[in-house]
Amino acid sequence: MIFNSFDFALFIIPVFLLYWLILSKSAVYQNVFLLITSLVFYAWVDWRFLSLLLGSIVINFFLGKAIHTAERETRQLLFLRLGLVFNVGLLLYFKYFNFFYDNFFELLHVFGVQKSHGILHIILPLGISFFTFQNLGYLIDVYNEEIEPSNDFLQFSVFVAFFPKILSGPIERAANFIPQIQKKRIFSYQVAVDGLRQFLWGLFAKVVIAENCAVIANPIFENYENESGSTILVGAFFYTIQLYADFSGYSNMALGVSKLFGIELMRNFATPFFSTNISDFWRKWHISLTTWMMDYVFTPLSFTLRRYQKMGLLVSIIATFVLVGFWHGANWTFVVYGLLHGFYFVPLVYSGNINSSQIMAKGKWFPSVKEIIKMVLLFVLVMLTAIFFRADSVTTALNCLQKICSVTLIDFPHTVLTTITATTSILILFFIGIEWINREKKHDFEISNYHMLLRWGLYISLFLVLLFFGKSSETFIYFQF
Amino acid sequence: MNITTIKEKISEILTAILEHTNFELHDELTAKDVDGWDSLSHMMIITKIEEEFGIRFKLRDLNKLKNMGSLITLIQSKL
Repeated sequence: MIFNSFDFALFIIPVFLLYWLILSKSAVYQNVFLLITSLVFYAWVDWRFLSLLLGSIVINFFLGKAIHTAERETRQLLFLRLGLVFNVGLLLYFKYFNFFYDNFFELLHVFGVQKSHGILHIILPLGISFFTFQNLGYLIDVYNEEIEPSNDFLQFSVFVAFFPKILSGPIERAANFIPQIQKKRIFSYQVAVDGLRQFLWGLFAKVVIAENCAVIANPIFENYENESGSTILVGAFFYTIQLYADFSGYSNMALGVSKLFGIELMRNFATPFFSTNISDFWRKWHISLTTWMMDYVFTPLSFTLRRYQKMGLLVSIIATFVLVGFWHGANWTFVVYGLLHGFYFVPLVYSGNINSSQIMAKGKWFPSVKEIIKMVLLFVLVMLTAIFFRADSVTTALNCLQKICSVTLIDFPHTVLTTITATTSILILFFIGIEWINREKKHDFEISNYHMLLRWGLYISLFLVLLFFGKSSETFIYFQF
Repeated sequence: MNITTIKEKISEILTAILEHTNFELHDELTAKDVDGWDSLSHMMIITKIEEEFGIRFKLRDLNKLKNMGSLITLIQSKL
């Protein structure tokens, strides 16, 4: 059951009403209800791994307590390591086993050992990359004494399984989430309406922008051998927008739904393409993953390598980004994706510009020419990596890049000269325009201060656009991770 | 080394790395309050503090830091 489905509408309306009308007496009632709802939601999408999710909740809950109550530091470390082995083990088995298994036999093949091997059918449990990372962060925070472990099994279960974020994040932090469910939530009309607005914007990004971009990009990448370099470049452009609209759309919907229940999840996207460099971009793109990687991978690594100064910093950044890439899936394409992003940091580390992060053209209507050039350059850099993200193998991605670098780049991209390209481009302009106007706000569609007529004008326009240009879709790109 | 000297040194380090002086060094100050003090610049600041004071931190000590006050206490305990 995905957010942009009729099923979800049927599910969320009674859940919302029950939560506020009948179960609003105490925090315990609300949490019991949220847990049951979340488990039903997860089982509805895929019941096969419900026991895995429950097992993971129980084990991490007790490990958190064990780390905290252990008296000696060696015992604390032992429980932390158990937790790391358990959670990373889950990921390695379900997500990466086939990758290492295949590559092992490939390697044997290189060394002349001929061995045939069968294919193992391991199904990826939905949301596993998200909830295991959340649990890992929780255990490390408890070990570092940054947070107290949860003593309330119910609250901890809601923290792990909360349905708006279980399938694709944001990767929440206990310190942000648990305090919100410790007290009774009181209905706020403003918050609920704001949630609906954010949901509407996410729905528009997914159903209109991402899905129309997919209609243009998919045939190009599926048939790239027969396309010109220029057409592939156009495909890469629309795919980059698709990727952003798909995942930021999902995230906005998740945050919007969550607000309906009086819970604020962490922001996952903050208009990342309005950035002047790659460091700034990653501070605004998939923020919950980036900050996770910063805290639990980059910081320990750069601390260990700190005496190598800039070189140590660079190695830590590149290693972190390789892991960011690999987190997305068991394929070399994602490793290259991460590696490229890591390498993009080289000039920043050596010029000392790594910390420049600001809201683009703050307080102004338009960016300067210099800022526009930087944004375009950044977009092109990200677009090149998106080709690896999209391709099924590194060879395919390299073939696409080779085509882009060939003389066919100056061919006119005839195949994409269609009505859908024209309408999608106009819709993208509208999408970018609204995001630009709201870039300093808490989310992309925070329009509470607009005049009522303008607000309703925008709602009605979005409904009409959804009605006429919306496309149904069964999945989100990030569900496969 | 007294607290005032420690604070002065930290202030100099922050200014050198963050390239601005838009902060006031008090005990409740956190990285979030200071422009540009994020996970990337944090490690550069820590390395510089180690160099300037001639001390070594443990990662776990750093993770426990809550604010400027606890950083100063940690530095003092190492001197």
